[in-house]
Amino acid sequence: MIEAVERLARILEQENLEWEVFYQFGRSGSFEIERETLERSQRKFYSGIGLRVGLKGRLGFSYITGLHPSDETLERLVRRTVKLAKVSEVPFRGFPSPKGVRTVGNLYDRRIDEIPFEEAHSMAIEYSELMRELKNGETLSGSFSLAVGTKGVVNSNGIELEERSTYMGVSAYAVVREPPGTGSYRQTYRSLQPQEELENAVRKAIDEARLSSRAKRLEAYSGELVLEPEAVSAIFDIFLANLYGDEIYHERSRFSKVGEEVGDFTLVDDSTLDGFPGSYSFDGEGVPGQRTVLVENGILRNFLLDHTYASFLAMESTGNAVRSFRSVPYIGTSNVVIETGDMELDDYEGIIVRKVFGEHTANPVSGDFSLTVELGYAVKNGELRPFKDNMLVGNVFELLKTLKPGKKAKRLSTFLSPRVLIEGRLV
Amino acid sequence: MEWLIKKAEELARKHDVDYYEIRLVRVTSTRLSMSNGQLRELSINSELGIGARAFNGAWGFSSANDRERFEKALETAMKIAKLSRGSGRIHLGEPVTDNVELKVRKSFKDIDLEEKLSLVKETDGFLRGDKIVNRTVYYGDSVVETLYFNSLGSEIRTVVPRVRFGFSVTAREEGEMQQFWKSFGGTAGWELVEGIDLHHWTSHVKEKALELLSARFPPSGEMDVIADPELTGVFIHEALGHAVEADSIKNGDSILAGKLGERIAVEGLTVVDDPTLKGKFGSYPYDDEGIKAKRVEIIRNGVLVSYLNDRETAEYFGLEPNGHARAESYAHQPLVRMGNTYVEPGDWTLEEMLEEVKRGLYMLGDKGGEVDTANGTFTFGAKLGYVIENGEIKEPVRDVALSGKILDVLANIRAIGNDLRIEFPGYCGKGQWVPVDDGGPHILTRALVGGLR
Repeated sequence: MIEAVERLARILEQENLEWEVFYQFGRSGSFEIERETLERSQRKFYSGIGLRVGLKGRLGFSYITGLHPSDETLERLVRRTVKLAKVSEVPFRGFPSPKGVRTVGNLYDRRIDEIPFEEAHSMAIEYSELMRELKNGETLSGSFSLAVGTKGVVNSNGIELEERSTYMGVSAYAVVREPPGTGSYRQTYRSLQPQEELENAVRKAIDEARLSSRAKRLEAYSGELVLEPEAVSAIFDIFLANLYGDEIYHERSRFSKVGEEVGDFTLVDDSTLDGFPGSYSFDGEGVPGQRTVLVENGILRNFLLDHTYASFLAMESTGNAVRSFRSVPYIGTSNVVIETGDMELDDYEGIIVRKVFGEHTANPVSGDFSLTVELGYAVKNGELRPFKDNMLVGNVFELLKTLKPGKKAKRLSTFLSPRVLIEGRLV
Repeated sequence: MEWLIKKAEELARKHDVDYYEIRLVRVTSTRLSMSNGQLRELSINSELGIGARAFNGAWGFSSANDRERFEKALETAMKIAKLSRGSGRIHLGEPVTDNVELKVRKSFKDIDLEEKLSLVKETDGFLRGDKIVNRTVYYGDSVVETLYFNSLGSEIRTVVPRVRFGFSVTAREEGEMQQFWKSFGGTAGWELVEGIDLHHWTSHVKEKALELLSARFPPSGEMDVIADPELTGVFIHEALGHAVEADSIKNGDSILAGKLGERIAVEGLTVVDDPTLKGKFGSYPYDDEGIKAKRVEIIRNGVLVSYLNDRETAEYFGLEPNGHARAESYAHQPLVRMGNTYVEPGDWTLEEMLEEVKRGLYMLGDKGGEVDTANGTFTFGAKLGYVIENGEIKEPVRDVALSGKILDVLANIRAIGNDLRIEFPGYCGKGQWVPVDDGGPHILTRALVGGLR
């Protein structure tokens, strides 16, 4: 526990309150490369303390920034939060009690924490030089970032947890001018990656841009097709909107109870995956991270829950309280996993959709969507004909009933999925 | 403030930095949200932070929200710039001293929290109704005070109040579920909220959600589309606005690169971005690089006449800076962004437009959009649609999204209405979120409709 939080806890212990302190501090370095030139470098610092108090069944929340508050600032924070609890009418359902927290491995890499900024800056310059080397007519841009952060939760039930983690992000973007085509690659990690990973990013973006430049709109198509993990992610975003506990409780979800049949696949939210960017040992309320089976062999088994909504729904928290010190917890995913199946889709011949965009225009409750195809390809006799600008249209609940997962999973930051076979329609 | 200016000067000498700019920002905000009569959030917060940038052929940036780190943030930005030694250039111009407070009639500070809470409760009550399973209401206000200073000697203080209020319902019947919603917002005070006809708008939202329950799927394929002012707004924001942000153009990421001075749309189409419009959600007096906000004509009578730019891209393209560099917060670097983007009205009435359409869709409302500026492709959703047959509005259709090629759709505009409205506040995402407004009159064009029929 940091010194300011210890002082705050001492003040809170004098009061007849239930309370919870969530604190964060950290720094990040990030670098933007435009037209193969490093143009923007930044180093940011952040820190803050969020306080929730429960008083007579009502909740108050407030925060301060910085980790060096005076005693007076801390006392003011307590008074303000208590005052808000008195007027707020936000129901208070208690705070979690301590449970055994198992530390998730490889979320922290000392090399990222201790790298001098100058060295990170040199890596970014090398990344831009790599782009210049690999380009062949394309315009390349991208970014590179490193971060380290600590979060902690302390509450009046005896929870006292702290975790430090590191992060690395890489992106590359390639544009072909004539005929126009774009390609992009984005990945996140918990540990420092070797140069090959940067090279891989640039090559992937260039390959995709070349395909995109050759792509034409496909004639309308209806039938069996394969979605690559990028497109699977967009489809599951629409579906997952229905599994958030707050949406269930407030009746803004398609579902109201578990047990419904939604298809024949397994969907998991797992914050305990070693070294994954969405992993954590405990969530924003101090509830241990866990592997939550949301859909098991097609049957809806659980929802994404924090302590509050679990309590409203008479369920158990799934450790999905996401937050920053600036906000009360809200429900979010950690790592989303579509389990592999037994379809052999690596050498699939037919229509394959790689990327779509526009999923936030979809209607998650009706499930209807129309997404623009950013890139796809028709494969015949090993020959690949790219297409784009069609729309993939359908209903997510209908589509999922036809979904059959492939054998090999691919990780896209916090999303892990194989290729999947579906019945779909392109217009 | 004074000590910070002195400190910056001293550090710039020490690190031999040519240009720097510093934003010291205090944000005070109130947020409330309620679902089905249960309060979900009520918070009042205030935060002070600093964002410092220095330029030495490339940008160095640092930010902090712990006062003990403010000085370090200044020095860090300068050190990074020194390390960067790029070959870029920026527009400098003359120093500016100014102090601008966007005026409101009723300050949020003078309104009790209880009154804000009762607005939310009252609205929730109005939204109750048969088949309505979810009612959600939110209210947020903020006052952002920014002290900007740079190495040219500019010293600008701005105070921008902003309010946003909205509500949504979800209707359910026999397994069908549909939502409808309405948002209000502006750089205004409590008077904006008082001016809303709550009875009318809550009824409207319920009515439309119920209408959607029985709406059919839209047809699919390329067809004539009449967009209402709200949809025209999102269309012009997505399809054109993003493609004229000069940073995209500079990075080869826009199909409008090299097209300045060319005809890219039908004659009669004029598109403007104007952050100086009074009271709109995307308005601001100065941008985050200390450049005064300006009304910019992007397209005049079909000809592309300007890009939206910042200090860097203005210099790069040899243009006058037009004050469109905006940052989400003190902890973000400014990027080229829109403010209030709209299509200037023409002389068509909606009735005349409808007469032009044998078979098509009348589409209303903004459900979000996305654009690939390099490919020149966009997609966006409408809240609600109606089939048009032989000039007549027929049955409603639901969950309809449009897709198109920017240049095709601009060239295919056949009619521009006379009914301009700019009152569709929202947030635009480009790695950072900034408040914007958009709008226009009704327009008639062709696009690809992604329907399930």
